[in-house]
Amino acid sequence: MASDSASCGRRVLAVLLAELLALGPLPAAAQAGKPPAPPLPKEVFHSMQESLQRPYLDLFEEAAKLEYSPAQIEAMRKYLDQARGFCVREYRRRASAHQKERERAQADLKRRTASLEDPERRRIHCRIQNLRILESQTQMLAEHAIPVAYENKKAKLELIEKWPAELQRVRAEIASGAYHQRRFGDVKDIGVRELVPGQERDVKDGQEAVRQLKMTGLLPPELDNAVIRNYVADLARNVAARSDLRVPLNVTVLNSKEINAFALPGGFLFIQRGLLEAVEDEAQLAGVIAHEIAHVTGRHGYKLMKRATIASIIYQAAQLAAVLLTGGAATLGAYYALQYGFYGLGLVLSLDLLGVSREFELEADQLGVQYAWNAGYDPSGFIRFFDRMATREGYVNGASWFRTHPPFYARMVQTRREMMFLPQKPDLRRDSEEFRRMKAELAKVAAQAQEEEKNKPSLLAPVQGCPAPEKIEYQPGDPIEKICPVPLS
Amino acid sequence: MPRAALLILWPLLLAAQPAPLSLYLSVEDGDRLIGGLGERNFRLYEDGRPVAFRLAEPEAPAAITLLVEHSRASWVYQSDLQAAVRAFLDAAPEGHWYSLATYSHGWRVEVDFTRRKGELWAAYSALEPPMWDEIDTYDAIYEVLEKLEMLPGRRVLILIGSGLDTLSARTLQEVQQKIESVNVTVFAAAAGSMLRGMYEPYLGNTARMDLTRAEAFLNLLARKSGGQAWLPRFESAYPDIARAVFLTLQHQYRLVYESSLPRDGKFHRLRVEAFQLAGDRRRDFRVRVRDGWRR
Repeated sequence: MASDSASCGRRVLAVLLAELLALGPLPAAAQAGKPPAPPLPKEVFHSMQESLQRPYLDLFEEAAKLEYSPAQIEAMRKYLDQARGFCVREYRRRASAHQKERERAQADLKRRTASLEDPERRRIHCRIQNLRILESQTQMLAEHAIPVAYENKKAKLELIEKWPAELQRVRAEIASGAYHQRRFGDVKDIGVRELVPGQERDVKDGQEAVRQLKMTGLLPPELDNAVIRNYVADLARNVAARSDLRVPLNVTVLNSKEINAFALPGGFLFIQRGLLEAVEDEAQLAGVIAHEIAHVTGRHGYKLMKRATIASIIYQAAQLAAVLLTGGAATLGAYYALQYGFYGLGLVLSLDLLGVSREFELEADQLGVQYAWNAGYDPSGFIRFFDRMATREGYVNGASWFRTHPPFYARMVQTRREMMFLPQKPDLRRDSEEFRRMKAELAKVAAQAQEEEKNKPSLLAPVQGCPAPEKIEYQPGDPIEKICPVPLS
Repeated sequence: MPRAALLILWPLLLAAQPAPLSLYLSVEDGDRLIGGLGERNFRLYEDGRPVAFRLAEPEAPAAITLLVEHSRASWVYQSDLQAAVRAFLDAAPEGHWYSLATYSHGWRVEVDFTRRKGELWAAYSALEPPMWDEIDTYDAIYEVLEKLEMLPGRRVLILIGSGLDTLSARTLQEVQQKIESVNVTVFAAAAGSMLRGMYEPYLGNTARMDLTRAEAFLNLLARKSGGQAWLPRFESAYPDIARAVFLTLQHQYRLVYESSLPRDGKFHRLRVEAFQLAGDRRRDFRVRVRDGWRR
């Protein structure tokens, strides 16, 4: 018995050491080329790096005071491209190394399967499982989180470069009153103006889309909590009542960890629990909801899906989702991507159906800011939430409000311009007692969901109780350099 | 015993306790499932010796895997397979965990456990045509049982396939030993039975033997695990079969007990009696339960 315990202890120690080795930095020789050298003098480089960490809202205020030459900005832009390439390559290499190591472990398992004792077999099972986790984490970082983080940095650099001149133009437009002539400039007539006639005709399509979506069986269950449901419905209806929406708003809160919200034509708004968890204040939530309502009032879905039937759109999307959710499990690490909340309903929702396109996204940004403002919310909520999500690992896929096209810079500037054109309003709301109550209630629901998730059985990762590798964290607001160090001088 | 020694030994003492076993069974009177029985209506015997037990609520939610044959060779009864999958997913009640796996030469998880059963149909209907002519049923069942065995709680395997096996590395004996040693209830819905009925007179002895063996294999799985096997002649029977499976799951009893059987790797018989007493008359029911454990 004693010898068994000692042997078991040694094996556990071996597993832990193996995991530590797998988690540690790769040897220099195995890294993805040479990291790019800072292209500017140390002080300028540091100062610029710091500026690129600033929130968009601060940069809009400070950009005019930042004195970087065009050559410096250009050098920094090139540097960001190189750093992004280096960082992505590094994480691809890590993913590949984990994959190779997993394949070796699997081959070893196959070779020795007949002679393996249970504890040793379990150790190998744990090892393979953990290598899958590491492989998937690094793939997610390389293919999604890192590119988006650098996209956001470049957008901020562009803002530093171009916003001062743009600000002059905005001020000139305000001074001359020309801003009234902009598209949808009649903000004092929101609710009365005719944006796009025929919203009522979309209701039938919306109902059909909801029916089809339910038939796919991919719709998450509704959230069973009256406090949260009522709060979200009240907030959404408050925004809708002060928008150009002409049809009744139908609000559904889904119990899913995806950070997403979407509206189907005809006023069918779906909010997912992950979004409620991710927003920091009421104005951020109102900003996202207003953006989605804007897609409905602009009839973007109707314009994009003229030639397809709802059923065919949903069917095609569901097929695609099935391939990604299932068939790709072995290669894409979809199992772990699902754990991140990265894949989900966003895969099933056709962008055509949601009215998402380059042109309409800018329109929805503009109208969304108007609606949030008109409903009495701080319209900066949308920008603040967008900024936060751009630095979040595992940002949701398929979300209408978080598209990388049009580019971040264009969307942020469009939103900021619109905010400046809006008439001043006192007491714009950011937070409320009801929001905090909803958050408290949400914490309980999320804890329950987390517990359920923890107990979820799996055929893919069924080895219980393995010492799991640490998740490579890339938290909102963290500099990307935290997970991808590059020389600072 | 000094307190410090007790603290050190306590986990070992706990570990030495035999883990209680959950035995799932259904009670039938003809075609009718009998519910509402209490502890006093059951007797449990291991190797002929009575064993103490308690009646407990079934563990919920159950982890239910649909394992579906998907081979080029099964193309001739593809419509059976498809109808069966559809029927099971239509009948599956909300609340359980569902997963989908397919097999031909090797097996693969198409959808890992989810509460959204629609994901299973979406995945099944989007399957690529199978590449292999093999039907490695034994390997697939053996390995899926091995995976399910590692999960806690109530585990159910629903097999949809012909029961034929062409090139498995595992033998029938290995699969039988596996099913005897794991606590997973297996339900089987055979595919291709109608074709067999139509063409049986024209088949040679070897083919007939293969088909008989396939049917016997499905029955063996069910008998060994306390489940049930169906060999429907028509596609239209699958909805009734699916409803019967989920009704059975809903009406199963769970007996919890500590087994006194030695861990000798041998098969030990299990018998459960279910009855009702009316005065001095005892009315016995049919019990659908696994026929033993290999420990």
